[in-house]
Amino acid sequence: MKMLRGKSILLDLKEIDDNPGPYCMSFHFDLKALVRSIEHCGLINDPFIILTEEGRAEVVIGYRRILALKALKMESIGCIDLSDSGLSHLDLLLLNLSENLATRQFNDLEKGMILSRLMIYISKEKVIEEYMPVLKLPSHVETLHFFLNLDGLDQQMKISIAEKVISLRAIKMLLDMEEKSRFSVFLLLAKLKLNFNKQIHFIEYIVDISHKEGIGIPDLLMEKSFQRILEEKPLNNPQKVKRVMNLLRARRYPSLVHYEDAFNRKISQLELPHGVRLCHSPFFESPDYMLEIKFKKGGELKEKLKILSRIEGLDNIGNPAQKDQ
Amino acid sequence: MKDFPIKTLFIEKGADGYSFGAKIIERLGDIPVDRIEYDVDNRYQQLNNMDKESIRLLRFQGAFLKTCPGTKEYICCGYQILNVGTNCTMDCSYCILQAYFNQPSIRVFVNLEEQLTTIGQLIDSRPEKIFRIGTGEFTDSLALDHIVHWSDILIPFFLGRKNAVLELKTKSNQIEGLLSSPVRERIIVSWSLNSPYIVAKEEHGTVGLKKRLEAAKRCQSEGFILGFHFDPLIEHPDWKEGYMKTLEMMDEYINPKGIIWISMGCFRYMPGLKTIIRKRHPETHILDGEFISGLDGKMRYFKPIRIEMYAFMVEIIKKWYHDPGLYLCMESDEIWTKSMGWSPGNSEGLSHYLDKRVIEFFG
Repeated sequence: MKMLRGKSILLDLKEIDDNPGPYCMSFHFDLKALVRSIEHCGLINDPFIILTEEGRAEVVIGYRRILALKALKMESIGCIDLSDSGLSHLDLLLLNLSENLATRQFNDLEKGMILSRLMIYISKEKVIEEYMPVLKLPSHVETLHFFLNLDGLDQQMKISIAEKVISLRAIKMLLDMEEKSRFSVFLLLAKLKLNFNKQIHFIEYIVDISHKEGIGIPDLLMEKSFQRILEEKPLNNPQKVKRVMNLLRARRYPSLVHYEDAFNRKISQLELPHGVRLCHSPFFESPDYMLEIKFKKGGELKEKLKILSRIEGLDNIGNPAQKDQ
Repeated sequence: MKDFPIKTLFIEKGADGYSFGAKIIERLGDIPVDRIEYDVDNRYQQLNNMDKESIRLLRFQGAFLKTCPGTKEYICCGYQILNVGTNCTMDCSYCILQAYFNQPSIRVFVNLEEQLTTIGQLIDSRPEKIFRIGTGEFTDSLALDHIVHWSDILIPFFLGRKNAVLELKTKSNQIEGLLSSPVRERIIVSWSLNSPYIVAKEEHGTVGLKKRLEAAKRCQSEGFILGFHFDPLIEHPDWKEGYMKTLEMMDEYINPKGIIWISMGCFRYMPGLKTIIRKRHPETHILDGEFISGLDGKMRYFKPIRIEMYAFMVEIIKKWYHDPGLYLCMESDEIWTKSMGWSPGNSEGLSHYLDKRVIEFFG
């Protein structure tokens, strides 16, 4: 076990940079709990710093604690100065990493920050082999590049990732777009507050329609048909989401949606007994249909089966779009 | 195949000492040779192209003969894949091999000859079964033949084996090796065809339809049995006129009586391939169609679209010749019935139908 050679010093908080510096790995955190804790118990562990040639202090470990103290309007702080410890930049970075790994989980943005900092000092192969597993990431170059790219994203997008408002899969798809398109899609995703599953569908629809119709993504999203839904006052957000998704789906899959509509019309005309549902297979790919009957007693089931056997329209159910196409 | 772009030869550890490999090295002449200890560890490299400009000689450790991995949800023809190598010099936007980015280079398995002994024993041990074998699943069967000379090894191997046929499937016109062989028995030479639009826009690095059909005509006139494959059929503007044009060209060059079979399969892909296609072929329109998730998890055109495409192809092909040995690749009983007017019912039924064609053509 290595022993750290540092010396305790008292430092004016004004001498410590507000920026996280080259060793910290924190992005988008909530200081409130830490501020409350320091208010109650005081500072339990001193932060680690190094002094630069200009005499400013760079935080090695304890960036959040220092911000919390600044928020509490404290003036000075006890620190461990590692300036004469003989540790290299990489050592200091790894020191921070080890300390954080032992105490908390990193968000995805922070993982990207860590990897990009490690890449300054360590070969790509070693980062993939040794450090990606430590961050619970698969050891693969594609994954590495993806996480490195997160650091270059717009601040608003970074916050959405850290807060898990947007899925990594959606981000991966957004990263494949040029910047203007990416941001316009992101804004709409954020506005509509889509769940992870819908985010993927939404992006897929948008990209596919843009390719198919030769329309730029920002132009597509500015079309009146979208804007009308987004601005329609009586609609609440889930209603807007539903309409937007239906609009995109019908445009991306016109035949399928036409077929589904024809099927639904046909079913509604059958006047099925209450508690009876007739479903088609996903995308009609299998020729099989499914009948669901809700009943409480055998007699009720028999009665519903009798009614069903008399519905003539059921004979044509095997070809739902036949009359409507 | 257009200009031959091989710039480097890699020889993997363990691939030395095979005369098959030595001859390839000799034929490639004066190109840089890189002897490598082991295969590329793909965890560290992003292979954005499939490195189609290098040939890699290696000793393949897996099974050389495998049954086509059909799924129970769709009817499979029961084809046997003879795995002689992977990747090819062409770059079709729809190619499934793009999903195998972790395997760069055109890979040629130098231990083919020693494995053929085992395969021969298997074929000979089951005289009641007809082995329809092809090499065109993971590579083009003929595009590299002038360098690799697969035909030198494979054609004699099938000679006299009454329960097997070899189908060489290609988009090239590299037929000199074939024609120089005196053997015609048990060999089917097949071309993958598409509409002129798809050939021009999506089948990068392949030869045009005219050259393919000229090569097919030459093979036919030299006594080879032919096969054709419309796979993938792709929806595109004026696709009916496009495929009709291809059929008119077939009519110009080919005597349909000498065709053992024509297969059809609408474009389908594993979901993961979509991103790769978008990255590698940003201009492509092959993903524009209405693709839904099929029963096997692959993305396929919505069923009525597939039925329409197949039914159209059946109509025009049958007008050309009444008995072309048409079959569908990986489709359901319902699609068969609605587009072809009949169905083999299941994979065994389709195998039986194609085996019968083999017997009719080769005895």
